[in-house]
Amino acid sequence: MSDRRSSSYALAYWALRALPHLLLLLALLPVWELAVSTGFITSILVPPPSEIIASIWELYVLDGTIYPHFLITLTETVAGFAIGAAVAITLAVCSALSETFKRYVSPYAIVLNVTPGIALTPVVIAWFGYGMGSKVALAAIISFFPIFVNALTGLLQVDRDSEEMFRSLGASDRQAFLKLRVPASLPLVFAGLKIGLTTALIGAVVAEFAQATAGVGVLMNRFSFQLDMGSSIATLLSMTLIGLLLFYAMEFLDDRVVFWRREGRRSVVSRARARRWAAKFGGHESPETEAASSK
Amino acid sequence: MNMPTQNSGQADTADQAADAGAKDAVVAARGLSKTFADGTVVALEGASFDIAPGSFVSLVGPSGCGKSTLLRLIAGLIDKSSGHLKVHGKPVDAPRTDVGMMFQRATLLEWRTAIENVLLPTEIKRSLTKEDRRNAAELLRMVGLHDFRFSFPTQLSGGMQQRVALARLLQTGADVLLLDEPFGALDEFTRERLNVELMRIVAEVGATTLFVTHNIAEAIFLADQVFVMTPRPGRIASIVEVPFERPRSPSLQTSPEFNEVVAEVRDILGEDH
Ligand SMILES: Nc1ncnc2c1ncn2[C@@H]1O[C@H](COP(=O)(O)OP(=O)(O)OP(=O)(O)O)[C@@H](O)[C@H]1O
Ligand SMILES: [Mg+2]
Repeated sequence: MSDRRSSSYALAYWALRALPHLLLLLALLPVWELAVSTGFITSILVPPPSEIIASIWELYVLDGTIYPHFLITLTETVAGFAIGAAVAITLAVCSALSETFKRYVSPYAIVLNVTPGIALTPVVIAWFGYGMGSKVALAAIISFFPIFVNALTGLLQVDRDSEEMFRSLGASDRQAFLKLRVPASLPLVFAGLKIGLTTALIGAVVAEFAQATAGVGVLMNRFSFQLDMGSSIATLLSMTLIGLLLFYAMEFLDDRVVFWRREGRRSVVSRARARRWAAKFGGHESPETEAASSK
Repeated sequence: MNMPTQNSGQADTADQAADAGAKDAVVAARGLSKTFADGTVVALEGASFDIAPGSFVSLVGPSGCGKSTLLRLIAGLIDKSSGHLKVHGKPVDAPRTDVGMMFQRATLLEWRTAIENVLLPTEIKRSLTKEDRRNAAELLRMVGLHDFRFSFPTQLSGGMQQRVALARLLQTGADVLLLDEPFGALDEFTRERLNVELMRIVAEVGATTLFVTHNIAEAIFLADQVFVMTPRPGRIASIVEVPFERPRSPSLQTSPEFNEVVAEVRDILGEDH
């Protein structure tokens, strides 16, 4: 009950904060429209807002051309990201566990990092073809490094006092790794995942620009060649949408997993654990009944 | 080998005493020394002492005199360079379950609630039982944090975090407690209150306690014996007996007798204190 009320407050608060931004945007649109219609800006290069809105209407509502492409790019991005992240985190864990492994892997990771990943586009397309494969591959390749570096940094950062505490408790290396280093690395792992997700989208779209049969990148290329700037920008917005969607999905996960860094989440989880404890280990342990019985 | 006998009074020669020790000593050291790997820093030299069961020993001395080194030796976290060291009659060669340590920083795991932190030592040894959980809740009650047992460390004040760390230390079941400036990072008021609570709690559980501090008055107020240490090389310059009855109240610290002991310790430490 109180949760729902507080979330509706949050919504109202958010709306109130967003209002000025919305008003500013609404005020700018007529200026832009006017600038184009008076010929101050060439409409061939920059379409007036009305044209963009009309294209959005057409692409997203009337014939929905955008959706299959939207889904394809989204899939490529997520698949590429998942592969890149899985490989990155596996290698980071191995590097954190073995000094030797790290010594042999690091040079390649560094070479991969200083090589502009995007430059691999033609090679990747030659290897994996015009279909989704090459897009997934490029997304995976360029999302790999930020995730790897952040995860490895997270796993290698040691709080000496905490390590010593674990040692004084007679913990094995394995216990110290699982109970201390892994959880302690999570904030950085998630920071890496967020960057990786954004770069994965870049990889997918760039590969589509280069050579593809479907995806929002292809669509945008097509519109630009036709000098249909309105549709081109309407398509661009779909990429923004994919980006936002993924970013907030990741933010949500981050919030759940690394809850101890989020003030709001912390107290929610704290209450949830108290309830779970009471349910599992007996009602007399629950704070409510206890407060009652101690009075 | 033939180190100057220090004021513990019981050691004859290092070798003899290593076998003998005081019969009932919980911690017994003879000529205990530690030189760090680079070979230049003698962190601790020729420490000899016996610590009786249930006694409270304070270690006091300027920075770098080897207080932490001595504690870490007893905890089995580092290896000695020479000498003998026994806890409960057994040589120390690795961390062990009858010795527990607490640090200046609470070193709580941020992603665990207070009670989950307290349960960590048991969890490392074996899987948890209902009894362990009840015990942990009881310990949190003992340190006055029962209502906060499901709070995360970052929701607690510094003093509360140290109380959780203390409860965690007690959860280990160790009867030798090593406390390395446990309240050093806290404000005066909190520290004083926690000191009094600490005295009560270790008396209640009957633990043998080594307590490191920079503060002379605090060292004396808490302890049965004060090991006064001096640096370069780190050594125990003197062991001062503290004669006051227990339980002690903070007002003891203003009495002339108390200040005599303070003066004595200050004297041993020399000019810079
Ligand atoms: N791991 C180490 N490697 C090399 N030298 C060390 C190491 N640990 C401690 N020392 C040295 O040993 C000496 C004693 O250090 P120790 O930490 O025991 O002092 P301390 O009395 O605890 O000081 P403080 O009051 O500042 O904590 C110091 O000179 C220190 O530089
Ligand atoms: Mg120290």
